Amino acid sequence: MNTVKQDSSEWAEGLNLMAGPYFLGLYQPSPETKGFWEGVSRHELLLKWCSACQRAHHPKRIVCTGCGSADLSWQRSSGRGKVYSFSEVHHVADKAFMASVPYTIGLVALDEGVYLLSRLLSELGPIAIDQLVRLDFQVLESGRLLPVFKVGRS
Amino acid sequence: MTRNRLGGSAAIVGIGRAMTTRSDPERQTPLQLGAKAAIDAMRQAGIGRSDVGALFTGRTPQAYMVLQYNQSLLNELKIGPMFSSEVSSHGGGALGTLQLAAMAVESGVIDYALCVTNEASGVWMDQTMSNAGWEGELQFEAPYGVSTPSLYAQFACRYMHEYGVTPEMCARVAVENRRWALDHPHAATRSKGPITVQDVLNSRMIASPLRLLDCAVWYPGGIGTAMVVTRSELARSRHAQASYLAGFGQSNTHEWVSERMGTWGFEPMADGPNLVRTGAAVAARQAYEMAGLKPKDMDVVQTSAPFSFANLMMLEELGFCGAGEGGAFVESGGIDYDGGLPFNTMGGYLSFGQVAQGLYNLQETIDQIWGRAEGRQVANAQVGLVHGHGGPLACHSVVIVSKEATT
Repeated sequence: MNTVKQDSSEWAEGLNLMAGPYFLGLYQPSPETKGFWEGVSRHELLLKWCSACQRAHHPKRIVCTGCGSADLSWQRSSGRGKVYSFSEVHHVADKAFMASVPYTIGLVALDEGVYLLSRLLSELGPIAIDQLVRLDFQVLESGRLLPVFKVGRS
Repeated sequence: MTRNRLGGSAAIVGIGRAMTTRSDPERQTPLQLGAKAAIDAMRQAGIGRSDVGALFTGRTPQAYMVLQYNQSLLNELKIGPMFSSEVSSHGGGALGTLQLAAMAVESGVIDYALCVTNEASGVWMDQTMSNAGWEGELQFEAPYGVSTPSLYAQFACRYMHEYGVTPEMCARVAVENRRWALDHPHAATRSKGPITVQDVLNSRMIASPLRLLDCAVWYPGGIGTAMVVTRSELARSRHAQASYLAGFGQSNTHEWVSERMGTWGFEPMADGPNLVRTGAAVAARQAYEMAGLKPKDMDVVQTSAPFSFANLMMLEELGFCGAGEGGAFVESGGIDYDGGLPFNTMGGYLSFGQVAQGLYNLQETIDQIWGRAEGRQVANAQVGLVHGHGGPLACHSVVIVSKEATT
């Protein structure tokens, strides 16, 4: 039913919802994130930045939650942060991911004050809340190059 | 507490229900279930097609994906209401239909509203496979290999960390839910028998800290539920049996887990983003104030929380114990089948099973206050609270229903 585009930078166009031969519309399109994926292809983690109130936002933001400005730009993240929450996944429906279990999904609190869900890769044993993380980029089971975080900064 | 004018101003005067199971020879669709339930509810209320002033449905059933589902149902029923709409705030929308209905009839613009929820995804789909596709954001969550439990587990991780809640405390919810399910003829897990805390802790890990028995089971069938709502004045003068909407409330806060932590500035994130407080507390406070009632006045309580830890959170949010005290409350017998608060008397989402949307928890509560909950009847139940939740801990509806008029 869904067709997945292969180029990461085209993520933002969403999925085509099809009913037989009929194109019904786009599922979760968000063209405002195109710049984020272009950054990923260069191994850069970009956040939305409001210069009016000097606040970083999740890459999906269209308007600033602080002041309402729609004049947001891309700003490169330090890639540094801490583990805010995590879960070790042992069962998942998708076969491509099931071959990799257990792996850890978690929320990272970036130093810029933005939270991102990501894959957490442990370098120093069990993962715990508040451990330091650093940014990396890997091609995961989805076949996409994605920002991931290594836990336990050496 | 001061009650506002909506408290007790509307009542349910007709209820219809249709059920099907995966093993039924004829596989029924959500539309079939919804239409049958709607006709029964209208018959019970004694109203005709021309009397229906509003049709409110829950969100489009997963097993019947059409645009504007409410219009498909309207077309089937051959009714011509003034208002027709889906209330699509995930699972919170089911109870939301009653809330819009109450405001519409109280205002006098219409006399009768028909509220319908229906789903049969357990018959037509493998929801374990499909559900992550609904719950995960396409670009920033799904590509990492998320599952529905792993998204809720982010809340569980923080909740257990911040309040010192243990897996044993969470497991007690699953044990007590199962005990109630053993008394319900249609509960998904009835034939599996009782479980112990150790059974929960020994069940296989799904997404830490959530084990198999910490998770809701998908209901292996379908349920349609319909209710006719009118204002209390008409309920008293024209209808033999009415269940009053003493109070209600609702709160909707976010869509994706990954962005929940980018949300602040209103309750329950007024003090900053967090994963341990939810809109359920906001919705419950609105409902109690509207009803002029307190948590201790509730004789029976239902929640649609789909994981054990979330049930502990909801006991806190709905006012039955303080913030972070849900685990201790349950460990001290707070929801014990024998002597505790009658909580999830069908068995809850963990043991009755989760239908992706529905008014069946409200139906159960009304059965309880009218003494019709055969085999699991709570003695002298007069007032009940129902909490409807839409994922992930994003949409919360609360309805307090009473046997006697509260106005």
